[in-house]
Amino acid sequence: MSSGFQVNRAASITRKEVRHIFRDPFTLGWAFGLPLFFVIFFGYAIDFNVKEVRLVVSDQDNSRASRQLLEVFSGSKYFKLSQLPPGVSPQRDLSRERAKGVLLIEPGMGEALGSGKPYQIQLLLDGADNSTAGIIISYLAGIQQAAGKRLLNQTRSAPVRLQTRFLFNPELSSPWFVVPGLLAVVMGVLAIMLTALTVAREWESGSMELLLSTPVKPLEIILGKLTPYLVLSLLAVAMIYLVARLQFGLPFRGSQPLFLVGVILFLTLCLAQGLLISVVTRQQALAVQLAFLAGLLPPLLLSGFIFPVESMPAFFQYLTMLIPARWFIVISRGLFLKGSGVVELAVPLGMLLGMNLLLVAAALKRFKKDLEP
Amino acid sequence: MNLTLRGFMKKEFLQTLRDPRMSFFVFGAPLLQLLVFGYAISTEVRNIRLAAQYAPGDQLARRIEARALSSGWFVPVTHQGEDPFALVQSGRADVALVAPAGGLSRAARRGDARLQVLVDATNVIQARAVERYLGAIVQGVIQETFPGQAPPSPLGLEIRTLYNPAQVTTFHMVPGVMLMLLSLLTILLPSMSLVREKETGTFETLVSAPVKNWEILLGKTLPFMILGLVLVHLIFLAAVLIFGLPMRGAYWKFLLAAVMFIISTISVGTMISTISRGQQQAMMGSFFFLFPAIMLSGMMFPLENMPQALVWAAYLNPLKYMLTLLRNILLKGGDDWVFWTNLGALAILALAAATFSFKRFRQTLN
Amino acid sequence: MKKNQLAVQARHLSVRFGTFTAVDDISFAVRPGEIFGFLGANGAGKTTTIRVLCGLLIPSAGQAWVAGLDCQTQAADVKTKVGYMSQRFTLYSDLTVAENLAFTAALRKLDTRTLQRRTRELFDFIHFDYPQNSMVSDLPGGIKQQLALAAALLHDPPIIFLDEPTAGVAPAVRARFWSLIRQLARAGKTIFVTTHYLDEAENCRRIALMRDGQIIALDSPRRLKASAFPEPVLEIEPQPGTSREWLRKLKLDPRVARIQPHGRRYHVLVLNGPAWQGIARRLPKTLSLRRIQPSLEDVFIRLVEAEVSA
Repeated sequence: MSSGFQVNRAASITRKEVRHIFRDPFTLGWAFGLPLFFVIFFGYAIDFNVKEVRLVVSDQDNSRASRQLLEVFSGSKYFKLSQLPPGVSPQRDLSRERAKGVLLIEPGMGEALGSGKPYQIQLLLDGADNSTAGIIISYLAGIQQAAGKRLLNQTRSAPVRLQTRFLFNPELSSPWFVVPGLLAVVMGVLAIMLTALTVAREWESGSMELLLSTPVKPLEIILGKLTPYLVLSLLAVAMIYLVARLQFGLPFRGSQPLFLVGVILFLTLCLAQGLLISVVTRQQALAVQLAFLAGLLPPLLLSGFIFPVESMPAFFQYLTMLIPARWFIVISRGLFLKGSGVVELAVPLGMLLGMNLLLVAAALKRFKKDLEP
Repeated sequence: MNLTLRGFMKKEFLQTLRDPRMSFFVFGAPLLQLLVFGYAISTEVRNIRLAAQYAPGDQLARRIEARALSSGWFVPVTHQGEDPFALVQSGRADVALVAPAGGLSRAARRGDARLQVLVDATNVIQARAVERYLGAIVQGVIQETFPGQAPPSPLGLEIRTLYNPAQVTTFHMVPGVMLMLLSLLTILLPSMSLVREKETGTFETLVSAPVKNWEILLGKTLPFMILGLVLVHLIFLAAVLIFGLPMRGAYWKFLLAAVMFIISTISVGTMISTISRGQQQAMMGSFFFLFPAIMLSGMMFPLENMPQALVWAAYLNPLKYMLTLLRNILLKGGDDWVFWTNLGALAILALAAATFSFKRFRQTLN
Repeated sequence: MKKNQLAVQARHLSVRFGTFTAVDDISFAVRPGEIFGFLGANGAGKTTTIRVLCGLLIPSAGQAWVAGLDCQTQAADVKTKVGYMSQRFTLYSDLTVAENLAFTAALRKLDTRTLQRRTRELFDFIHFDYPQNSMVSDLPGGIKQQLALAAALLHDPPIIFLDEPTAGVAPAVRARFWSLIRQLARAGKTIFVTTHYLDEAENCRRIALMRDGQIIALDSPRRLKASAFPEPVLEIEPQPGTSREWLRKLKLDPRVARIQPHGRRYHVLVLNGPAWQGIARRLPKTLSLRRIQPSLEDVFIRLVEAEVSA
C-alpha cells in the first residue's frame, strides 16, 4: 500500500507534533493542568443550593404572629433577614442590589389570624435575577407549610402527599450535577483550541507548503496531528475522573470501558473541529475568533450543561444536536450518575461517531483541495 | 488628532474589517448568537417529560396527570407500564409519577395517599423545578376534589417579582448574553493584536519609528474601543427591537457603563498581549481569563454561595460588575449608588490592567 | 576624534541574552557618506548590533552613538535620523502599498503632502510601477523588498541601516538592489549594511568581519585582502580528466603555504613573490595558471583560520 495510508508517515508527523508540545511547556500546562484546575475551581465555586438569601423585612404589624413568622424564615437557614428602616421605600434595597427580596407584613396580621380570617403576606422578589428568584420560590412551599404548623397548629395533613425521590443525585448535590457537565464543556473547548492553531500556524509560517510538497497523505497529516493531543487530553480526563471521584465524591455507576469509548469519540470530534477551523481559516487571528465563537459559548449555553435542552423551543433543540458537548454530557452524566448502558447511550454515541466521520471527511476534502494547484 | 493615532485607527480598521470573514466574526456572529441564545436558553424549565403510572380506573391520578400536562410545563411519555425507574434511567422520562398499588383515589379517601415521584436529579435545577411544579399541581387538584378536607392555608404568600413581573427569561438572559459576546470581542481582538505584530515582524516597523509607548498602546486599542461601542449598540438595539428588552434607566448611564467596561476588557486583553509570546499563548491567556469570567458573571449560577476564597476571585471580574450595571440600568432604572460603585470598580480594574500593560510594554526587542 | 563628526560610533559594545553573548565588546566608527558593510555568518551578531544602533535593543555594556546621539538615552531622537530595514519583512501583507506607506508616514508624523511627494520620489527611485492599491501580499518577493526599502526611506533619513536586504532574493534583483544602495551613498547618505554574501561586500567602502560576536577585521576590501594575503595567490585550473600527480607534488612543495579548492579550480598560496616563478615552471603545461586577487571569501577563511589557530 505504497500509495495509500502509511502508519509510519503519520507517526513521524506525530513525533514532530510531540516535540512541539514538549518544547512549549505552555501547551502542556494548557492541555493538562488547565482542565483539572477549572474542574476543581468550578466544582467548588458553583452551588445551586443558595443559603442565606438576603431578605429585607418590613414588619408593620409587629405582633406575636408576625414575629413567629419571621422566626420561621430565619430558622430555615435559607434566608438572612434584615430590618427595613422606617420611611424607606421597600424597593430601595432591591434596586441597590442589597437584597434579593422584601417581605412586607402590613398591620393586622395578628388580628386576622387570631380571628381565623385569611391573611396575605407580600413578598417582593428581584425579577432581574431569575436564577436566584427561581431558587427562592422553590424554598417557599416548605416555609409556608412550616409557618402554617407553627402559627396555626395546622397538623392535619393533606389527603395526598407527594413522596419525591430524587434519583441519581438524592441530595441534589451541586458538584454531582456540575462536574460531569463541566468535564464535557472544559475538555471540549480546550480540545478545539489545541488544534485550532496547529495548521493555521503552519500556513502562516510557510511550513505547510513544505509538508504538502512531501508525499504525505492528508489523512496521515490529520491523524498525525490529532494523536498527540488526543493522548494529552485523555490523560487530562483521567485526572479529572480521579478528582471527581476522590475530591467531590461522585459515584461512577456505568461501565468504564464505555466511558473510555465515549471520551475518545468526543475528544477526537472536538480536536477535529479545531483542525477543520484551522484548515479553513489558514490564519491564526481568524482561527482564534472562530474557535472562540464556535467553541466557547455554544457548549456552555446550549449543551444542556446548565440550561436543559428540553426546555428550549423545538428548533433550537435540533440546533443543539450539532454541538458535540450536548451528546457527551448525556454520556458523562449517564455513566457517572445514572448507570446507563450501551443501549441507553446508543444515540449519543452514534451521533458522536457520525459527526467524527463527517468532520474528518470534511477536513480531508479541504486538505485535498489545498493540495491541488 | 495626533497623526500617529489617526494612522493607527485607519490601519487597524482596514486590517480587521477588510476580510469579510473577520467582519462577520466581529458584527454578524455576535448578533446571530444573541438571537440563538436569546430564544433558546431560559432558566424556566419546560417540556418536562412525564410518565404517569396508575391503574385504569384511578380517577384522581388521571386528573393529576391531566392537570400537569395542561399546565404547559410537562409533556407526556408513552410507555407500556415499564419499570418507572428504568424509564427515567434510560432518559425517556424526566419524571415518573407512580400511584399506589390500590389506586390513588381509594388511598386518598382513607386520607393516607402517597404519590411517588421519581425525578431525574442529574440536573439539580430541573429536579427542583419539577418538584415545585408538581407540588402546586397536586395541591390544586386536591382542593378541587376534596373541598372540605384541605382548606387553603389562611396564611397566604403573595409573591410579586419586580422589574420582570411576567418572569420573561429573556429579560434577564439577554443582558448576560450581550455581556458575553461583547467581552469575547473586546478581549480577543486586543489580546491578539500586539502579539501578532511581534510574530509577523511588523512590530519592528512600529518601534523603529520615533513613537511614544502611549501612542502605540492607545493606537492599538482605540480602534477596538470604537468597534466595541458599535457592537454594544448593535446588540442593544437588536435586544430592544427583537426581544422587547426595556430600557428603564438613563442612556448616559448605559453608555458610560459600556465605555468603562470596554476600557477594562480591552486593558485586560492588552495585558494578555504584552505577556504572551506568540498568538497561541495569547489565545490561551484569553481563554484562561474569559472562561471563569463568564462562568462567574452571575448569569449562569448564583454567586451567593461561593467559598470565601473564590469570592475574592470574583471581585476581579469585570463581567460581574457589568452584569449588575446592565441589569440595574436596563431593568431597574439605574440606582445612583449601584451605578457609581460598580463603575468605580470597573475603573479600578481598567486602571490596574492598563498600568500593568504600560509598565510591561517595551519598545525593545530583548 | 569628535563623536558628532561620525555617523555611527560604537565603543566596547556588548549584548548578552541570558548566558549567550551575541555581541562581545566591539568598537568601530562609520564616517558620513560611507557604505559600511557588516559581514559574517548567521548568528555572528550583525542583526543584534544593528538593533542596538537603531535603539531597539539595550546593550548590556558599552555605548553607541548614531548621528552624535546616544542610542540608549536618546533612542527616540536616533529613530528620527535613521531609516531601518529589518531582516524580517516588516510591511503589512494585509494592507495595500499605499496603506502601508500611509501608516509608516503616520508613525513618523509626516503630513499628507510630504507623504505624496516622498512616495513619488521613492517610486521613481525604485522604479515601482505596480498599482498603489495592490495588496502587498500579491507582490513578488524582490518588489516587496524594494518597497520595504522605500518605507524605510520615507522620512528621508541621513543614516540608513539595512539588515540583510538581499537575503533570499534572485541574483538579478540583488544586483539591482546594490545599485540603489550605491545611488543612495552618492546622494550623501550613510549606509550601514549587513550581508552574508561576501561578493556583495566588494561594494562597501569599508567592511567589518564579524565572528561569534566579535569583529575580527575592519578595513577597506582592498586593504583587507592585502593585509590578509601579502603573498601572491595563484589560481590553477586543470583540464578535465588529467592526472592529479601535480597536485600531490604541489602539496609537498615547501614554498606553497596552502591549497584551497574552489569548485574545479584551486587557489594556491605561495610564500613569496619570486617563488611562484619557480613553481610555475615545474607544473605541467596542460594547467592554466594565473595570479589573482584573493576574494573576500579567501580573506574570510584565512582570518577565521588564523583566529582558530591562535
